Amino acid sequence: MINNLYIFDKYGNLLYYDEWNRPKKGEIKQEEEQKLMYGMLISIKSFVNRLSPTDTREGFLYYKTNKYALHYLETPSGLKFVMNTDVAAMNVREFLQQLYGKVWVEYVVRDPLWEPGTEVTSSLFKSKLDDFVKQSPIFGIRNI
Amino acid sequence: MSRQNTRLDQKKVNTELLTLAYGSFVTQILHDQNLNIDEVNKNLERIGYNIGLRLIEDFLSRTAAPRCLEMRETADRIQQAFRIYLNIQPAITNWSSSSDEFSLIFENNPLIDFVELPPEFSNLRYSAIICGCIRGALEMVQQEVQCFLVQDQLKSDSCTEIRVKFIRRLEDAIPAGED
Amino acid sequence: MDKFEALKISTKPKNVLDKSLSKGKGEVSHAIFALLFSEMVQYCQSKSYTVPELQAKLHEMGADVGNRVVDLYFVRDRNSKRETKIIQMLLFIKTTLWKNLFGKEAEKLEQSHDDERTYYIIEKEPLVNAYISVPKDKSSLNCASFTAGIVESVLTLCGFNCKVSSHWHKGTTYMVKFEDHVINRDKQMEEK
Repeated sequence: MINNLYIFDKYGNLLYYDEWNRPKKGEIKQEEEQKLMYGMLISIKSFVNRLSPTDTREGFLYYKTNKYALHYLETPSGLKFVMNTDVAAMNVREFLQQLYGKVWVEYVVRDPLWEPGTEVTSSLFKSKLDDFVKQSPIFGIRNI
Repeated sequence: MSRQNTRLDQKKVNTELLTLAYGSFVTQILHDQNLNIDEVNKNLERIGYNIGLRLIEDFLSRTAAPRCLEMRETADRIQQAFRIYLNIQPAITNWSSSSDEFSLIFENNPLIDFVELPPEFSNLRYSAIICGCIRGALEMVQQEVQCFLVQDQLKSDSCTEIRVKFIRRLEDAIPAGED
Repeated sequence: MDKFEALKISTKPKNVLDKSLSKGKGEVSHAIFALLFSEMVQYCQSKSYTVPELQAKLHEMGADVGNRVVDLYFVRDRNSKRETKIIQMLLFIKTTLWKNLFGKEAEKLEQSHDDERTYYIIEKEPLVNAYISVPKDKSSLNCASFTAGIVESVLTLCGFNCKVSSHWHKGTTYMVKFEDHVINRDKQMEEK
C-alpha cells in the first residue's frame, strides 16, 4: 500500500507531493511537514554515513516502523524520491527508479513549461504518475 | 536496477529533424540579437547548459550510473552519452599530464549538416550548444568543468574537437541550520 | 518573415545533388530532440507576452525548417518531380513530409464541408506536444504551431499559397486555408 510521495531537488525544494492512502492526516501543516521531512533525511543520511564501518556509496535506503516504511532514492543529480508504504511493500526503490525514468524524466524533464527548481503543476505528469502508482503491485497489497 | 541495452535510446527521430530544428533556432537567435555574434555564442552555450541540466536526468535514469570519482570515468560517460543521444562515438584523446583535461573528437557532427558559415559569421560558435550541454550536465552531478570548441568543421578544420577541463568538485547543498 | 537573406542562403542545403542520396536515414535519440525543442519553446516564451505571440514565433521557426526541406525531399523522394494539384500536394505533405520528419504519416486528410478552400490534416499525437499537458481550455499553447509553420512554408514555396494554423482538436488539427487563386487554378486544371 502506497501512502504518499515526496520529490525534492538537490537544494531541498519540494518539487512534488502527492498522497494516495493516508487516512490519518498529518497533525502539522503540510508545508511544515515537508520541511521537517527534508531536514530529517539530511540528518539521517549524514549520521548513517558516519556510523558506517566502511565507506558507503548509497548510504541510507529505508527505515521501517511497526506501521509504515519510508523508502529513499537519491539520484546522482541530487533528486530525492521519498515514498511511504505499508511495511510489507517490496522492491520500492526499484519502483522509484522506474518512476524516475518513465514518469519524471518523460513528463517533467521534457516539459517546456516546467522550470527546474519549481513545483511541478503539469496535469499530464500528475495523471501519468497516478496511473503508474496504481498499476504497481505495491499499491494494492495491504499488510494485515 | 541495471537495465540492459542502455546503449541506445529505443525511441528515435530522424537526425535531419534535429539538425533542421537547431538550424532554425540559431537563425532565430541571430535575428533577435541583430547579428551580434558574441551574444549569439553566449546564448547558444546557455541553451546547451539548460539542456544539460535536464539531459543528465535522462542519462542517469537510463544508465543507473553512480557519480564519477575521477575524470577518466567522466570521459567514458560523456562518450556513452554521445552514443545514446547523437548516435556518434567521439574519440577521447589528448589527456593532460595531470589527467584533468581531455578532448572529444568526432567528424560526423550531426548539428552542422547543411550548414555553411558566410565570412561575416566566422566567429559564430555554432556547436557551442554541445559544450554548454556538457557543462550543465556535469554541474548537476557536482563537477564544475570548462568546456569549449578547439576545432570546428565549419571553419575548415577536419573534425570537431571539444575540450573538457576539470575545475573543481562542488559541495552538496545543505539546508540552512543543518550539519 | 523578413529574415536576412545572407543567412538563409548560407544555411540552405549545399547543392543537394552533391550529397549522396542515402542521407536522411540517420537517427538520433528522441530525448535529445525533445529537450532541444523544449528549449526552443522556452526561448520563444521568454520573448513573448502572449500565447499567440509565442505560437507565431514557433511558426516562424517551423517556416525556416520548411524552407530547407522542400528541395531536399523533392529531390530525394520524388526525383525532383513537383506536384501541381492541391490534393496530390497535400498527400505529399501527409505522407512523405511527415514520414521524413516524424517517422510516421499524419493520420488524416480532410476537406472542409463548408469551405472549399479549407483542408484539415489531423495528427493524433504530435511529437512536439508529447510532453505538455493538454489544456482544459483550447486557447492555450499548442506547440504544433512549429509543424504548422513547416507545412505552410513548404506549400507556399511549391506555389500553393496558404495559411496553416494548429488547433487542439482530435489531437492536433492543422487547418490549411488556401488563397483563392490557388483554388481557381486547380479548378482550371480540372477542366482541361
